[in-house]
Amino acid sequence: MDAPSSRYPAALNRAPGIAGRRESCGETEADARNTKTHFRVCRFIMELGVKLCMRSVPVATACVLYHRFFKRASVGAYEPYLVAMSCVYLAGKVEEQHIRTRDIINVSHRYFNSGSCPLECDKEFWELRDSVVQCELLVLRQLNFHVSVEHPHKYLLHYLLSVSSLVNRHAWSRTPVAETSWALLRDCYHGDTCIRHTPQHIAIATLYLAINSYGVELPVGEKEWWQALCDDVTKEDIDTIISELLQLYDMEAKCI
Amino acid sequence: MDRDLLRHCLLYHGPSLFNTLKCEQTENPDFQELLSELDKALHESGFGEPNNPLVEQFIARKADILFSPAWKTAKVKEGDEEPEEEAAEPYAVMPPLELFMEVSQEERRSILYRDLEKGDVVVGRISNIRDYGFFLKVVCMAGGLKRDIEDLELSALCHISEIPSHRSHDDPLSYFQINDLVRAGVKDIDRYEEKITLSLRPASLSHSWKHLKLGVITREELPVQYSRSISAASNTAETYECILGGCHGYHNPCVVDYLLDKLGVSDTQPPSMMRGLQSKLFKEEDFAAAIRKKQSTSWALKCVRAGVDHFKHGRHVEAMNEYNKALEIDTNNVEALVARGALYANKGSIMKAITDFELALENSPDHRNAKKYLCQTLVERGKQLEGQEKLVTAEGLYRRALSLDDSNPEAKEALNKITDTIQKSIRLREEALAKEPVKAKSGETSAEKLRKILKEEKRMKKKRKRSSSSSSTSSTRSSSSPHSQSSRKRSKKKKKKERRSEHASKRQRRISSRESRKGEEGKCEKSRKGREEEEEDDEVEWFPAPPNTSATFLNSGGPVFGMMNEEGVDGKSAKDRICQLYSLSAASEDEDSESSYRENKRRDRKESKTRKCTLGHSPESPRWNKDGVNMGKERKIDDDSKRSGIDEKQKLSQSEQSWKNNFTGSASRPPENRTRPDSSISKTFDGGRYQIKEWEGFQAAGQVTPVKPRPEEQCSASIPGKRPGNAETNNPRPKKELPANLLDIFNQIAQFEKEKGGKAKK
Repeated sequence: MDAPSSRYPAALNRAPGIAGRRESCGETEADARNTKTHFRVCRFIMELGVKLCMRSVPVATACVLYHRFFKRASVGAYEPYLVAMSCVYLAGKVEEQHIRTRDIINVSHRYFNSGSCPLECDKEFWELRDSVVQCELLVLRQLNFHVSVEHPHKYLLHYLLSVSSLVNRHAWSRTPVAETSWALLRDCYHGDTCIRHTPQHIAIATLYLAINSYGVELPVGEKEWWQALCDDVTKEDIDTIISELLQLYDMEAKCI
Repeated sequence: MDRDLLRHCLLYHGPSLFNTLKCEQTENPDFQELLSELDKALHESGFGEPNNPLVEQFIARKADILFSPAWKTAKVKEGDEEPEEEAAEPYAVMPPLELFMEVSQEERRSILYRDLEKGDVVVGRISNIRDYGFFLKVVCMAGGLKRDIEDLELSALCHISEIPSHRSHDDPLSYFQINDLVRAGVKDIDRYEEKITLSLRPASLSHSWKHLKLGVITREELPVQYSRSISAASNTAETYECILGGCHGYHNPCVVDYLLDKLGVSDTQPPSMMRGLQSKLFKEEDFAAAIRKKQSTSWALKCVRAGVDHFKHGRHVEAMNEYNKALEIDTNNVEALVARGALYANKGSIMKAITDFELALENSPDHRNAKKYLCQTLVERGKQLEGQEKLVTAEGLYRRALSLDDSNPEAKEALNKITDTIQKSIRLREEALAKEPVKAKSGETSAEKLRKILKEEKRMKKKRKRSSSSSSTSSTRSSSSPHSQSSRKRSKKKKKKERRSEHASKRQRRISSRESRKGEEGKCEKSRKGREEEEEDDEVEWFPAPPNTSATFLNSGGPVFGMMNEEGVDGKSAKDRICQLYSLSAASEDEDSESSYRENKRRDRKESKTRKCTLGHSPESPRWNKDGVNMGKERKIDDDSKRSGIDEKQKLSQSEQSWKNNFTGSASRPPENRTRPDSSISKTFDGGRYQIKEWEGFQAAGQVTPVKPRPEEQCSASIPGKRPGNAETNNPRPKKELPANLLDIFNQIAQFEKEKGGKAKK
């Protein structure tokens, strides 16, 4: 199903002609470019999420669907921004926070043509809408209709509660561990960390990073607190995830 | 930058972080300020723990966000409600993490004493009861902290004074037994001595735990986290994760939102460490809702334009469809509403048009076309109402129309026309009203006329004394304008003078009945016309009459004519008052006619104000005038005037009654009305004149038959001694003789006065 993507590129000013350049470069370069593209598109999804007042979990679902989609499909074959819009639409349905296509199209249009007037109810609008809906079906098929995702968010919140009981309440209230870990968790969706690690590990890693950033002291027993929370996580796992996160932050400076 | 946080972090990580920080945060001015301070702190503390370079890198890069004071937004919500059953828990309540971490006893003990605070709740088992209190072996925490402390064998004391006694003579300790599970609040902690003091008083609990019941509890009431920890401790295979997955609350679909709320993290303005996703960078107009609104307006406008086009070509049905479509896309779209309103007005559905315009103006009060069209439509509607004789409503509409668009000539013209019409109609009615009393008046006897004159005289004098011209003008005006009108004004002011003016109430009663007859127009007129004059009128009348009233009165000639005029003028008001009074009395006797009573009351109140006040004042003046120089004369005059007034009223009321009866349809009223004035008189006079009282009493007692002459006769009969003159004056009344000479009348009055003179004084 190639048709939908062809109608949309006219409105997109941001996506460079990745499809054209892929053949000419090597694999790693292509990969690098893809990563950048994916980063940009995921940034687009995150911004959409905020402007559509979506909760963290549906946004995370959208990103996961996007990453999973492009694990199997090639970036050249499908327009990534269109896929992103459809993933947002689909994620809203999956996580029970339904978003109207009209809103998605409006916000996206404004994202690409900043400061422009809203679209009129004309041919272009209806074509865009058709594209989004058809691409949604495409995404579903590509993912074999496995669209329910388990997220680290629930784990992170429970871990936060348990850890906070170990710490002096005043010290805890002074230290913004909860916000930091939540921010880190949201940000990790820019990359494919979310599909390469289990949700518990991601939750542990973000909490670890947040706690250590502020130097919060926790009691030490036979096990470390993160070991107690999740038995199969290792220090290496944590470190891997943290380094991926740091790479994402670095990429921000390069891509955007 | 939050200094304390930063310092703490540096001390934790050591100098390597400090160096990395320095490299990364060279541009950050806040950090540069703190550099020296932090340097010093580091040197003092020594080295930190060996650290993770990745973490340090992260901190270094994101220090400006991490340590920014604005970053900390979360506000933890204390105090969860323990649900009655496990299935109802909103999230998974987990056993203390210490348990899973297998923290050593010493460590646990030390952190407990570090973190335990006053107001926390503990659950313990009673180990020992002494006469000064009991000792608890702490089992677990029930609020404030979640710690694994059972095996610490902590002992806490609850002093007997901290146990609220249920009954005054019972020993509170008798309720407790060894091994009872007790929930208590921490009253005091001695961290150094490691002593905990407990209390069972609810006041000892901190705010979040106030709902917990202190005292003996059952095993079932133990906190969930404790019971889970028991099972976890016994079974090492139960890891944190296992238990978490097994908790019912974990599978709550709303658990994320609930916990976010509990922790105080916002999901609508989510935090992010990405520089491009900081919430302040998002503009309101980029959000979906704002764009949608703009878009709806634009789409609706398109439909409206199409609709206007249809309308211009006469295709009204299509035009209406387009407008409705536009309003579906964007409800309350101003242009669509205005266009639809115009179409409605064109079709003739004026009310729908007005609704639409009003709605449009609500949303945008300065819309020129909306105002213009609404003005025109209101004028149109006003004309319709005029046709239906709803003049006042129409007038209101014209005014509104003019307020919207004051350049509209049609509106102005219509407004002027209608005000004229209303005034005319009121005047007509007044004239009609006036004609009736005039007719009745022709049948008056000399006595009646005399009374009238006297009353008027007194009134005028009072007014003159008070405020020269205004009162006369007001009285004149009031008499010329419909009685109801004047009475209405009076009635409005009457409310202020409730205490003093029983008379006024009567007048109002009378007036209100007239008002009902007159309808809206009268009311409008009254309200619009100078109420102040009425007020002045009333005010004036309540003051004592000038002492030399009698003198001027007795001068024939000039004053007579004046009085004649006034009488003519006031006669109507006098009649009104009489009618009021009579209607009052009627109402008082007739329990069925409550409304009419009230009407009459109001009328009477007003009328009595002008008239009764004079009456009232006349008796009052003797009372107030201690020296009593003019007492006798005044009294005479007062009595006469009173009586004449009453008689006049009675006479007037006869005619009035018939007239009134046509409208009110209550035949029994007239006689009742007649009794009324008496009661009203007495009331106004603050129970002064006993004659009146008696008269009234008698009248009130026996009035049932609608025979008009009777009350007069009764009057005369009941108080023969007091008012022999009445009989005399009363008798001629039914015959309706016309006195040939006013002087005769005066003489008669003088006669009465003489007779009544002594008795009048009280």
